[in-house]
Amino acid sequence: MAEVKKLSGGIFEIIKGKKQLATKNLDPGKTVYGEKLIQVEGIEYRTWDPRRSKLGAMVLKKFNIPLKEDSKVLYLGAASGTTVSHVSDIVSEGAVYAVEFSPRSMRDLIGLASRRKNVHPILADAGKPDSYSHLIEPVDLIFQDVAQPNQAEIAARNTIRFLKKDGYLLLSIKARSIDTVANPKEVFKEEVRKLEKAFEPGFEILNAKDLMPYHEDHLGVLAKLK
Amino acid sequence: MKINTWFGVLETGKAGEILESRLISKDVRELVLYSLSLRDNKSNLPPEGFDPKAAALKCGFVETSAEYYSLLHEVTLEAAKLQVSGALTPDQRIIQAVEALDDVNETTNSLSERLSEWYGGYFPESGLGGEDLALFIAKYGSRENLGPQDPLYPKARNSMGAKLEPADEVLLKGFAESICSLYEQRRQIEIYIEDSMELVAPNLKLVAGPMLGARLISLAGSLEKLAEFPSSTIQVIGASKALFKHLRARAPSPKHGIIYSHPLINTAPWWVRGKIARAVASKLSLAARIDFYSGKKDPSLTEKLETKVLQIRTLNPRPPQKKQVSGAKPKKKRRK
Repeated sequence: MAEVKKLSGGIFEIIKGKKQLATKNLDPGKTVYGEKLIQVEGIEYRTWDPRRSKLGAMVLKKFNIPLKEDSKVLYLGAASGTTVSHVSDIVSEGAVYAVEFSPRSMRDLIGLASRRKNVHPILADAGKPDSYSHLIEPVDLIFQDVAQPNQAEIAARNTIRFLKKDGYLLLSIKARSIDTVANPKEVFKEEVRKLEKAFEPGFEILNAKDLMPYHEDHLGVLAKLK
Repeated sequence: MKINTWFGVLETGKAGEILESRLISKDVRELVLYSLSLRDNKSNLPPEGFDPKAAALKCGFVETSAEYYSLLHEVTLEAAKLQVSGALTPDQRIIQAVEALDDVNETTNSLSERLSEWYGGYFPESGLGGEDLALFIAKYGSRENLGPQDPLYPKARNSMGAKLEPADEVLLKGFAESICSLYEQRRQIEIYIEDSMELVAPNLKLVAGPMLGARLISLAGSLEKLAEFPSSTIQVIGASKALFKHLRARAPSPKHGIIYSHPLINTAPWWVRGKIARAVASKLSLAARIDFYSGKKDPSLTEKLETKVLQIRTLNPRPPQKKQVSGAKPKKKRRK
């Protein structure tokens, strides 16, 4: 029999032989990317693969994930919606604004969003928040996974516009998309420094850890406004 | 101040109170078009920290928060659908065709090999391969069905191959027919690419040839991206492994990527290939830019390129003399 342990709001650990990360399925009976569905005491959970989701890896790396049932989330770099689906599970009473620039990925994301009422898909460039500012309310969390060389700048621009004063920024930095040849550790140091000085008053870095062994050359960062 | 939101224009006072509102009707279609029209509108942007949901409730656009979200959900979803369907531009179709062609080629080759292995047991002397073999088997099946006037008849009669049983013959014939239709498919895709390239990128087609041009668009991601690339990038597209080896370690820089398949480059002697690749790449980038921004065909591009290549070749008629290394041994290249 499986045992369920609550890690933090909406995030669970299911122990059934081995430990598995999971969220309550908001869209019962359906899987999104081939993950497993597990029934425990009448509640359906979807397992969450940390190797396919940077947010999932951050949970296992003991990041404090500031998400509640009614959180509003701005998700930059939504891609096909693998992680978005879990965020949507967690903020079942809230809203996920999922920004993605690639029409091909958006195709999959639309499929996901049409089944989940709290996901609002937006096809736009995350570097140009003006182009979607007419749609978005102030949010509790900005999650960013964009793999762009100017990710610190993108985070700053969106934070200024959309993050509540007491909100958080969760960021996944991919060293290889900033500099393919430099040493990842150096790149991380430089990016964290950039974040701290991105704008006035800047970010306060609460946590920064690499996401090994789930993702190579990736740094997870949790920050809030100074 | 005036504020644009997805449900209309609001006029707010100093304390943020709403003085006036011009709301769009609650028709999803209308809201979608309005929302899309705001994408490039740089005026009346909502100020930092502006809450459209609170405003929508205050000005009476929606009654409840739930209604706000459900309407917003529909509008964003429909807007995204509209944008996605508009994103399949003609150059994207070419990219799909190029990728399909590569897949068809790969499949055809491996199936052809399988067929030749399989049929080899029954008629090893045929000397046929590829499409010819597939056509032969689809037509005749067993070698015993060859007529005496066929040039392969003597070979078939004295073949050391096994006898083809009827059940195997049916299977092989069907297999061969599928392969024939794949070869046919390949030709159709090639024709499609040629025709589309003439419409989408006539200059690129002229300078690069239809297949190389299409591949360049495919690797760049779109004609727009290709037009924005500097010609030095175009020169090494498709040689990323060598390029990064060069950037990381002390490996030599690549002279050419997929543009190597250009006849001006692959027929050139080795010592001018880099120079010619540079000339070709520069004309390719010009061609892509003309195609993307104006679309007019300019035949002078190829003439200029040919003159330039001729000039390079006459200036460098002989391979350069290897420099004598005096004294110390040359440094060993560091490999990673």
